[in-house]
Amino acid sequence: MSCESVERDLDAYLDRELDAESSAGVREHVRSCASCRRQLAQRESLARLVRAAPYYSPPDRLRTRVLVQTTRSQSVRRIFTWAAAAVLVLSVGAGITLWRPAPGRGDVIADEVVNGHVRSLMANHLFDVQSTDRHTVKPWFLGKLDFSPPVIDLASIGFPLVGGRLDYVGGRSVAALVYQRQKHTINVFISPEGDDRSTRDLVLTARGFNLRHWIHNGMSFWAVSDLNSAELSEFTSALRSS
Amino acid sequence: MLPHLDAAFNYARWLTRDDGDAEDVVQDACVRAMRFFSSLRDNDARAWLFTIVRNTWYSRASRRATAVERSQLTDGQDHWPDQALDPEERLLQQHTVAVVRTALEQLPVDFREVIVLREIEGLSYKEIAAVVGVPIGTVMSRLARARERLLTLLKLASPRETLR
Repeated sequence: MSCESVERDLDAYLDRELDAESSAGVREHVRSCASCRRQLAQRESLARLVRAAPYYSPPDRLRTRVLVQTTRSQSVRRIFTWAAAAVLVLSVGAGITLWRPAPGRGDVIADEVVNGHVRSLMANHLFDVQSTDRHTVKPWFLGKLDFSPPVIDLASIGFPLVGGRLDYVGGRSVAALVYQRQKHTINVFISPEGDDRSTRDLVLTARGFNLRHWIHNGMSFWAVSDLNSAELSEFTSALRSS
Repeated sequence: MLPHLDAAFNYARWLTRDDGDAEDVVQDACVRAMRFFSSLRDNDARAWLFTIVRNTWYSRASRRATAVERSQLTDGQDHWPDQALDPEERLLQQHTVAVVRTALEQLPVDFREVIVLREIEGLSYKEIAAVVGVPIGTVMSRLARARERLLTLLKLASPRETLR
């Protein structure tokens, strides 16, 4: 690969938007080319600096105003939903058969996982135990759950553990571990593997959140965050391999 | 909508560079967003809200045309002392936040927003293209040029390299 094409691909390489083959090409070139290596290092420094820029939070009054507006428009929508339901009942009565596939259990749980995530952020109830020390977080679950969730800190790769709490997903109490990536919160819901073995690894998007599901050592994991898909994958693969 | 309010506000604040304006834009955007609530279902609600925030801001800004004009014209008169041996370390010490903020605010808004959406909000090129309403190729070239400018503004690049 020439310096010119490496320079052209440098941004896409850093943004993980380059295909595997070209990425390998850039990596290899940079190993032997001091000038391109320097450019790469500059851009990496820049990315770190930019992430130190302020993240502006809305004032509480805006949150309240939007909440009020949302509730108002939801009640209007609820009326429409009832109207639609009435029409549906009438059409069924008129002999029209409607068929709709039943949602899979994975979808139902995914929905509950997103609800749990949103609830934890909205109600300001992210933690029952707030600690970055897994030796504090893990024992906290003792006596509160009938299983012991694996608690792993990933601060070394930029996903610090910040706490844990009890939550309720899929009809049972689960452990929720909370991780942080810059301003993004990641909730990981852990419970013993259920009898439903059909849902193995899942990659989903729901209501703007990214979700991952996997089973490991007899435990079922659900990770959910507004973090972008690439970084969430980085997180989950680190979690799975530790 | 509420779960993405922080992101919407942060983006609006970077667009407008003003707390009050950002607040107005986000509130208007939320009202608009609710009017089209049905399209919020399964696609990326956050990116979608960004799009609305952006459109809201542009329609307000064109009413007060100067806002955009001004932001397009302010350009790199950087005023930071140079010559530190390790610029990154120096910046990371005390004034990082202020310095980075000033540098970002000096960028033209077209450049600033792609940096915010990519580096702070972590959107993919495809998502940014959808929010900004330009082809992916344009997103890439804007990002590259925005980074070049920031490198110069933050004195991370030696002059020879950035003047190339």
